[in-house]
Amino acid sequence: MSAIETEKLTKSYGSARGIEEVTIAVEPGEVFGLLGPNGAGKTTIIRTLLDLLHPTGGSARIFGLDSHRDSVAIRARLGNLPGDFGFGKQASGREALALLARLRGVADRGRAEALAARFRADLERPLGELSRGNRQKVGLILALFHRPELLILDEPTGGLDPLMQEEFLAVVAEERERGATVFLSSHELNEVERVCDRVGIIRGGRLVAVERVAELLERTPRRVSVELTGDAELPDLNQLPGVSGVHRDGRSLRFEVAGPVDAVVKELARHELADLEFAPPTLEQVFLTYYEEGR
Amino acid sequence: MTALLASQLHERRRAPLAWGLPIGLMSAFVVAIFPAVEEALSKVVGQYPSALKEAFGIEELSTVTQYLDAEMLSLIVPLALGYLAGRAVASGLSGAAENGRLDVLLSAPVARRGLVAATFLAAAVELAVVLAVSLALTMLGSLLAGAGLPFWSALAGFANVWPLALVFAGFAVLATGWSLQTSIVTGSVAGLLVTMYVVDLVGKLDPSLDWLRYGSVFRYYGKAIENGIEPLAFAGVTAVAVAVAGVGAALFERRDIAG
Repeated sequence: MSAIETEKLTKSYGSARGIEEVTIAVEPGEVFGLLGPNGAGKTTIIRTLLDLLHPTGGSARIFGLDSHRDSVAIRARLGNLPGDFGFGKQASGREALALLARLRGVADRGRAEALAARFRADLERPLGELSRGNRQKVGLILALFHRPELLILDEPTGGLDPLMQEEFLAVVAEERERGATVFLSSHELNEVERVCDRVGIIRGGRLVAVERVAELLERTPRRVSVELTGDAELPDLNQLPGVSGVHRDGRSLRFEVAGPVDAVVKELARHELADLEFAPPTLEQVFLTYYEEGR
Repeated sequence: MTALLASQLHERRRAPLAWGLPIGLMSAFVVAIFPAVEEALSKVVGQYPSALKEAFGIEELSTVTQYLDAEMLSLIVPLALGYLAGRAVASGLSGAAENGRLDVLLSAPVARRGLVAATFLAAAVELAVVLAVSLALTMLGSLLAGAGLPFWSALAGFANVWPLALVFAGFAVLATGWSLQTSIVTGSVAGLLVTMYVVDLVGKLDPSLDWLRYGSVFRYYGKAIENGIEPLAFAGVTAVAVAVAGVGAALFERRDIAG
């Protein structure tokens, strides 16, 4: 039984686009990333799973339960971080935590205190006085403190500084070790690359691909820049597998390579190089790859 | 449910002072000046047109209860408390949707109807506390000025505002089934409140339009400070408030909570 299973899940808002026929299966213990630009439909999928939005077509099941009919039972077993976490201006993180602990029937708040120390979260100040990043830390604690079976996190690192982003990624890895399923949305490729087992690419409300992260990166071309020294002969890269878009500018070469880079490295090794740069794929390149494939 | 109710009351903990204090002080002032203006009032009221007196329920202003009723309990207190009831519900539901709190609460194992019930109950408690504070200050004013306001009459007068105001809490729940914008919810409830008051007034002024008053909750409000609480009207209006809130809860259950 999948932890999350959607079948042609559709949500439309009159003439405005929402999501169209999204079919996903997330396995228990998996870390699944939903990758897409702003407005692609990531939040709509998450809100439909949480029964905040009601689908106009298709179905969603979590732990084998119907996401609408069994919503309360499902929510007892999950933790959620909304995309723009808030809890009013006056309440402090500790007050929010106290209420959530009562609603979830959690007496021991030791885990919450440990997470607060880890994220250096201020639970005492009113949330209205905190920066977005510091509010986000409180939101993460509320999502994690009860050790849920499933974590649904909408843009979880939004507003976090790089150190806290690292801490968050470490926590996600620990959650996976514990056996929890994690479903997160992001528009940061390096974030999903580091923690996700599989990624769903969403564009224009449609799920255009679901891939293992390694396969995704393999299929997506990386940009390579080479600068040669002296008057050495420029290598002919056009014939090499996976190479495209070779552009020459004096002693510099720029091109893209998809898949294994072994042949490219061996060809370049035959020349004297002043500089070599392999840029990791950008999110735009990932989208372009799948968009062009889909055309 | 208890946790949600406690949380809602905690969120609105300043309301009893913010609303009860000014209403109570104003009522206390009205009661306190009565002995000084009693004689002049009787003469002035005697000159009022009979239709006007009937419309505003003024027969005489020869007692402190009649004066308190005319000055506070016929207009200001019911309108203020009706508005407060709408605001309390709007704050607990649409306000929570706007500030993100609703998303967090509905991520926990909380049924939407439970959340609505807690919000409605919190509004009911808040109204009762505001009325109690107002009553206490009014009695204090009477005591200090020696106005002789009978406690049980004043209690009946203030208590009778509670079901009427609660109806507007019910309408606020109904409005959240349609919109989760606080301004729209409070605006529509305020509009309905004033409309019902005016409809009742028009029905009183023109007997041929008396039938209109059946559409206004003010028709069932009466003059509890003088005649005591009418149990049937009190229970009936309370039941209407709960029923309207129930319909609102069903609509809220079906609606999308947009982010």
